[in-house]
Amino acid sequence: MTGSYATAITVIALMLAAWTLVLVAMNRPPGISLLAAGGVLEAMLVGFLVGGIVQMVGSDHQFARVEFVGYLLGCLAIPPIATMWAWEEKSRSGTLVIAFAFLLMPVMVLRVQQVWAGPLV
Amino acid sequence: MSDTVDLPDTVDRPGPAPTGQGFGRLLVAVYGVFALAATARSAVQIATQFDEAPLAYLLSAFAGIVYIVATVSLARGGVTSRRLATMAISVELVGVLVVGGASRLFPEAFPHATVWTGFGSGYGFVPLVLPFVGLWWLRHTR
Repeated sequence: MTGSYATAITVIALMLAAWTLVLVAMNRPPGISLLAAGGVLEAMLVGFLVGGIVQMVGSDHQFARVEFVGYLLGCLAIPPIATMWAWEEKSRSGTLVIAFAFLLMPVMVLRVQQVWAGPLV
Repeated sequence: MSDTVDLPDTVDRPGPAPTGQGFGRLLVAVYGVFALAATARSAVQIATQFDEAPLAYLLSAFAGIVYIVATVSLARGGVTSRRLATMAISVELVGVLVVGGASRLFPEAFPHATVWTGFGSGYGFVPLVLPFVGLWWLRHTR
């Protein structure tokens, strides 16, 4: 779980966060292109979940498996929920909610990796 | 429309300002993340390793419920919700201060971290700042 795929998710999420923060600074609403880019990230997160579960099943080392899957599902759930919550708010704050969701992704990916690495209280 | 004169802003508003709009959108999103984090984490811990640190896990679960109440009531933002939000956020403030202080004074009593341990240091101190922002927002939108 420390592979380049996780790094790619982190980098793309940070790029999308930067893009969204530029929109916030310019006071522009999020457009269809941002939504499409978010869709690409979401597709990658589906791959992260599936790949993570496959790796987990094929591995016999000790780690918190329920928590691991929980974090993977959390990764997947956050962007669409944030987008729905943000969409009704046509203001800077609404766009900031989307930026916040993208900024959470690196944290979530890090937690996934920490849980995978072993017991950490 | 009737032919009466325009009333001042403060009178023609039907109730208090909504707490889930404007900056409140972002605030609810942040509260939602903490609701999810604290609740999901404590649910897993209580289900799988409750005997290890029952106090810490129950405290996390309690924090999770407080965050859920705060999130939902801030998002709804009616008169009752506003009262509920004020209560939940006050409990949150007391919780983070008491648990934060206790975990500094008696670290051996808190071997397993919760959201509020060390004033929320494991979460970038956001749990410490959040209740102040929440209470400020409730005042601001009153």
